[in-house]
Amino acid sequence: MDIKKEVLAILDEVLSLNGRTADFALDTPLLGAVPELDSMAVVGVINMLEERFGFVVEDDEIDGATFATVGSLVAFVEGKLS
Amino acid sequence: MRARRSVSFLPVDGTGGRFCVLTEPPGEPRGAVLYVHPFAEEMNKSRRMAALAAQEFATRGWLVLQIDLHGCGDSSDDFGDASWADWLTDIDAAWRWLEGRGVGTVCLWSLRAGSLVIADWIKTRGTVAPLLLWQPVIDGRQHLTQFLRLKGVSQMMEESDAKTAIAKVKAELESGQSVEVAGYTLSPNLVTGLQGARLELPTEYPAPVALLEVGGAEGGLSPGLVALAQRWEARGIKVTHAGNPGPAFWQTLEIEVAPALIDASSSVLEGFPT
Repeated sequence: MDIKKEVLAILDEVLSLNGRTADFALDTPLLGAVPELDSMAVVGVINMLEERFGFVVEDDEIDGATFATVGSLVAFVEGKLS
Repeated sequence: MRARRSVSFLPVDGTGGRFCVLTEPPGEPRGAVLYVHPFAEEMNKSRRMAALAAQEFATRGWLVLQIDLHGCGDSSDDFGDASWADWLTDIDAAWRWLEGRGVGTVCLWSLRAGSLVIADWIKTRGTVAPLLLWQPVIDGRQHLTQFLRLKGVSQMMEESDAKTAIAKVKAELESGQSVEVAGYTLSPNLVTGLQGARLELPTEYPAPVALLEVGGAEGGLSPGLVALAQRWEARGIKVTHAGNPGPAFWQTLEIEVAPALIDASSSVLEGFPT
């Protein structure tokens, strides 16, 4: 499974970005840089990661740093799946 | 001839009326479909999609009833007044009303956590109906955790402590208090019912069950639902499971629709016994 591709698809879908994630790289900043990413959207992304990848995220696993960049979010998912 | 839509309030003992939208087919109905909506904000996000699907199902001959459960949407009272038991009673009332119309089979259709209300209702009432479950939530506890997360993440965005905020809300719920999350007041009676609810069906449940998912360009299947479908099949339940391309319209930022899901659902309904 291409985790980066899946993560970008989820971001694109939840934030209604209409394909803008096609230009996103691992170092693309997210929180504070993508205006659509408000608290409701962060929760939407976490929830969909849980359902699409089939893992459970605990309350203390997520902080602002997880959503800093595409790379940090992909790394988080990789960590959950390993 | 087009489907005809009308609104009314269905009276429920002691707790006022439930806002209902009835969509009637042009001719004699081939059967009826009762829609059970998802939880909190997901209900608002998915209104358009539910309305479009109801219209399409009615055009194909189904009498479709959409009910706003107690404290939700345009029904009486506030969200904070609603309890899980009230919601099951609401399904009783809607079911009786549809049965009273005498149009044959009554199917149940849900989105997200509506599946948990349906499963609990089937378990406690012993009723049998064909099921069309859209992106069903499997575990009420996880769904509640996801909802409470809104509280923690808004704290996280303000760079304060998300963990403490969620722990505080959980402690308040455990001590029997109502809590407010993202503009919704949750009563202990609602929370207890939701977190105890699981998407399960009796062994050899005798009516067909369709799990339909939507998501991404290819419309992939969630691992949790794949496992559930296999478990049900092993227990003699006639279950089908399919993915459809389209956005996760119950939680996308903008109001979106997934026409492929409506088309697939129409085919599923076509195959249900009438």
